Order: sequence, then C-alpha cells, then structure tokens
Amino acid sequence: MPTDVRSAVQEQDVEPTVKRVQRRVDQQPNYSFYVEPFKLEERPRRFLEAFAAILKQSNYGPVLDTYCRVGAKCSVCTASCPVYQVTHDPRDIPCNRSELLLKVYRRYFTLAGNLKSRLFDYFRLTNEHINELAESVWRCTACKRCRYSCPMGIDHALVTHLARWILAEMGIAPKALVVSVRQQLEGETHNTSGIPVPALKDTCEFLEEELEEVYPGAGISFPFDVEGCEYVFFPAVSDYLLEADTLMGNAAMLHATSTSWTIGTGNFDGIDYGLFYSDAMWERIIKAQVAEVHRLGGKSMLIGECGHASRSAKEGMAYFIPPEDRVPVVNIMELAYEKFRAGQLILIPDAIEERTTYHDPCNIARKGWIIEQPRAILRHICRDFVEMEPHGCDNYCCGGGGGTVSIDEMREFRTMVGGKTKAEQIKATGAHYVVTPCANCKKQIDEVIKDHGLPQVRTGLHDLMLKAIVLPNGQEPIVQEEEE
Amino acid sequence: MPVEQWLEWTRGPLFRFALAVMVLGLIRLVVLNGINLISLVRHSYDKKMPVGVVARDTLRWLFPFTRVPASQRLFTLVSVAFHLCIIIVPIFLAGHILLWQRGLGLSWPAMYQTLADYMTLFAIATGLLLFGKRVSTHLTRSLSRVQDYLLPLIIVTTFVSGYLAVHPAVNPVGYDATMLVHVLTGDLVLILIPFSKLSHMLLLPINHLVSELGWHLVPEAGTRVALALGKEGEPV
Repeated sequence: MPTDVRSAVQEQDVEPTVKRVQRRVDQQPNYSFYVEPFKLEERPRRFLEAFAAILKQSNYGPVLDTYCRVGAKCSVCTASCPVYQVTHDPRDIPCNRSELLLKVYRRYFTLAGNLKSRLFDYFRLTNEHINELAESVWRCTACKRCRYSCPMGIDHALVTHLARWILAEMGIAPKALVVSVRQQLEGETHNTSGIPVPALKDTCEFLEEELEEVYPGAGISFPFDVEGCEYVFFPAVSDYLLEADTLMGNAAMLHATSTSWTIGTGNFDGIDYGLFYSDAMWERIIKAQVAEVHRLGGKSMLIGECGHASRSAKEGMAYFIPPEDRVPVVNIMELAYEKFRAGQLILIPDAIEERTTYHDPCNIARKGWIIEQPRAILRHICRDFVEMEPHGCDNYCCGGGGGTVSIDEMREFRTMVGGKTKAEQIKATGAHYVVTPCANCKKQIDEVIKDHGLPQVRTGLHDLMLKAIVLPNGQEPIVQEEEE
Repeated sequence: MPVEQWLEWTRGPLFRFALAVMVLGLIRLVVLNGINLISLVRHSYDKKMPVGVVARDTLRWLFPFTRVPASQRLFTLVSVAFHLCIIIVPIFLAGHILLWQRGLGLSWPAMYQTLADYMTLFAIATGLLLFGKRVSTHLTRSLSRVQDYLLPLIIVTTFVSGYLAVHPAVNPVGYDATMLVHVLTGDLVLILIPFSKLSHMLLLPINHLVSELGWHLVPEAGTRVALALGKEGEPV
C-alpha cells in the first residue's frame, strides 16, 4: 500500500475514535441511578478540590493514611459481601472498591505518590476513574458486613461513605436522595415526603378512627406539639403514607404504657439521607431535628421503626451536637422492650398463630445495638418464631441499604442482586410473616417478595404488636381482618 | 570474595543494618500513626479511646474462629498456622538464640529442635498453600499486587534454605551457599517489614483503633468544606 494511502486510512481510523472518546467524555455519564445535571468540565480537578477540602476539614485523612499502609488483599471480604456473592464481579469486592479511592489518595495526597508520579508513568485521575468510582460506591448497600470480616480491620463502609460525599460535592449523587433532602431542608414542609401539616393531622385523625375500631372507647390519640413531653416522635415520614399499622401500633404501645409523647409539627421526619451521601447534610438534618426537640422542651428523641433514622440520630447526636444540647436517642423498640420487661406493657402470649421470622436492619443490628429487644417481644407474642441464618450482628442486608431503596431506577439490581440472598433466606424459613422494623427494609422486602414471587407477608414489629397489646384497663384488641 | 566472607558480612553488618531498618521503620510507623490517632480525637466531640472494642476486635483476629464466613474457615486456619510458625520459629530457634547470645549477650529459652523442624516444614507447606490460593483464582488475582506474590515466596525461601542448612543429609547444595540464601532472604524480610503489608504485625491493633475512631466525624466540617469550595449559602 502506498504511504499516502496508508496514512489516509490511518487518519480515517483514528479520527472517529478520538471524536467518539471526546463525545463520551462530554456527555452526562450514564450511571445506573439518575443524577441531576452537573458540570462536566474539569471533573478530575473538581474531584481533587473537593477531596482536598474534605481531608483538610475532617477526620478522613488519617484513616486513609493508615488504610494505605495496611491492606493484606486477603479476599476474606468477598465471602461476606452480599453483592459480590451474587455478581462475582471483581469491581464489587469491598477491597477493590476502597482501592478506587485509596489510589487517588495515594497519588495526590502522599509524598510517595507524588514522587512516583514524577519518576514513572503513574496513575492519573481521569473522568473514567471518577465514573467507575461513582458507579461502584452506589452498588454498595453500606451493610458493613465486610467491616467485621476484614482481618486488618479496614472499614470499607467508611471509605465508601467518604467517596460518596466527595462525589456529592461535585454534583454526583442519586437524584432521588438529593431531591428528598432539598425538600426536607429547604422545602415548605420540612420533610422528605413533602407532607404538609394539615395532611399529617388528617392522616393521624384517620388513624385514630381506625384505632377506635381496634380498641373501642379507648381514645388512643396522636398528640401534636405538646410541650415538655418525655419523647418527641420522629418516625420515617414515609410511615404516614405507607405504614398505617406500624403507626397505630406505635400509638397503642405508647398509650398502653402511659408514655408522654408528642409529634412536633415543625419537624416530624426521622429520615436523614445525609448518612448515605454527605456529612454536611447529615449534620444539617440532625441539627434541625434536635432544634425541634428543644422547641417543644422534649427530653428525648424517639425514633420510629427505622434503621437508618435510628443510627443517623444516635451517631449524629454524638458527632455533631455539642454536649450541652444533646438529648438521648431512643428507638421505639427499645422503649417497648423496656416497658415490656418492667411489666408495664402487657402483651397477649401467642397472639400470632402463623410462623414468623425477623429481619435485622443493618444500621441497628451490625454493632449489636438492637437485636434481642424485638426478639423478646416476638417470642412472647408469636406461637412459632423462627430465625433466618445468619441473623443478628451477622445478618444479611435486605439489599436496599445505603439509600439505594429510594432509587427506583435501581430496583432490578436491588431485588435481583442485592436482595437475592435475603429472598433465599426468607424462603428457607417458610414463615408467613417477615417482620422488619425499618422503613427502608420494609419497602425493599416488599419488592423482593414481589420480584421473587414469594408467598410471605411483610410486616413491622408494631403492626404485629397491635394484635397483642392489652390496655391497662384490661381491654384486648379486636383483631382486624387482613386485607389480601 | 569467598562464600564464607559473604556469609559473615550478611550475618554481621547486613543483619545489623536490616534490624536497624526494621526497628526504626516500625518506630516511624508508630509515631506517624500516633499523630494520626491524636488528630482523630482532637477535632471530634468524643475523646474516648474505645480500647475495649479494639482489644476485642484484635483478639478476634488473632484467634479467628468466630464470625469468619464459612467458606473462608479453612483458609483462615491455614493462614493462622502460617503466621504462628513464621513468628515462633525464628524467635525461639536454638541456633538463632545462640547468635543473639554471641552478639549481644541476650538469651532466652529455646524450643525443641524437632518441634522447630516440624513447624518449619509446616510454615513452608502453609506458605505455599497460601501462595497457591492467591494464584489459582481469578478473584484473588484481581486483588493482588506485586508484593502479595513476592512476600510469601521470599518468606518460604527463607524457611526452605534454613531447613536445608540444618539438615545436610537432604541438602543437594553446599552448606555455605544455602546459609547465604537463608540469611540474605531473612535480612530482606526484616527490611521489608516497615515498607510493606508486613507492617500489620504492628499496625493491626492500630488499624482497628483507626476504624473505630474514623467514625468520630468532625462537627461543622460540612460547613467549612462548603466555604473552602466557595459554595456557602448555595441551595442543596
């Protein structure tokens, strides 16, 4: 082939490739979750700026520094990651996911990385790397199983947590979460579901009427803005839309134990998506919640049946709230258990005939905080209580953790990959009821049951307790027919 | 230079150098990590050191028989056996103690030579098994770096040459050459300890501590990050 022809052919070959690459770089990347439009120019520079700012202002630097030195690459975490066990894709190995960020840290924030980049053709941060990281950290359900299976004690969940924050600072965060947080912090309703106060009161009135049918004449109510109460109640606000039975059970339990509690109309949402993608948002949300407790002169924050709300409140309180402003954070199951143990909450033994199993929400079970409390109640009220294996500290995530449950476009991944192990566990128990005391897990397990065609019925702890609570005057509940 | 002189040099000056590198390197790591730990508690509200939790987590991994995923139990057992052998044998071998006594006048009880022999063979076998596991699956290869392949091989070489040096009957090569390989690789391991993942011999509890303290997030960090990025007052 003559030289000029060959070069012309080469040019033809090369040109489209360059253009194609360029086009790919210019387009909004196609993640498996929706993102609001963000600036595409100079992504590596802006990533590094956000990374540098966060390292400077926070505690993550020393952590990454240590993790860079010790990584045994032993592969034990692969056996504990529910996502990797289903996909067998190396990018889902917790250690590899952390490495994506540690690589950037090593190159740009350590002396060794700096030297290596001068001497060799060392790693360089590119748009592709950022996209890979973004995709990877949102495939993780933040269940923290790998944390407790790492012989070196590396907390991959902490690295993922940080990576999500850095990405969020440059505008890469799931739209579903950002929109909710915007509504909660800057919207008129101050809650993630956008429920206005009149609608909230309407809902609660309706629930009071329903409770009247379960306990005629008992007058169980949802008190609003009562000052000086023991507990200010923060359920996941979605409960008001989706989980009527849970809320009725909550109210019945609080009524039966004569607990002084209230719902604050200024802020009645326990959800804190900051836990999933940004410490900055986490802090703002917990501060708003604590401010509401103080406005009402309440003594404690009572969190409803919700795993992430409980953890974000309890840990957020310790991290972000000055000691003099802190109030105790109590999960409603802890309270119910305390009252039950003290003999103040009377429950009908064996009120539930059907076989029942319990799913531990990762955020309250992984560190051993709330494991036995709900089980003590369930063993009392259920004739046939069975466990999933493994359970407790070692439980499997429902597949919708880490905020992914709110990302509807990821449903197939959540139920068929993240939730596959959970579906198998649920199936193996042969239970009729799957109890889970967490708004995230409830939505996810509903979808897992549906997508896997399982026969089980998902319910909350207080939903079941509503069939067993005896009021102080000896009144027992009139059990309502289950809607099919 | 004849082999004996090389041997003297590796056992004398080179060993002292390697030991100094290891000790100073580990001191450096302790100091750096100490600074890290202090800065971790300095900025957060919670100043408590979760010593109990960390002791529990560290011990759990020194005796890893609980909370290990079922599919990893055999691997964990092999790994623990390997660790025990490569730590105990070099420290309590009678021949090694003799060297310490000659050099520094230090001495401590030695282990039975027969036991040392068996543990050496065990270290070689388990070391090769661990290396075999690493190269045999796509999963472990995708995780591995150069040091992950080299370190077990270097350590196994040290143990193989040590065993052959002590047992001339099974040694196809001369004593001096075998010993030279043994001392050289041994020195290399000492030098590599502070610069490779071998540093976990010291950093393991520190790592657990860092993972606990890492979650003591800093109040107002979000606000200051927004300020640094010129985003203060911007809507969510």
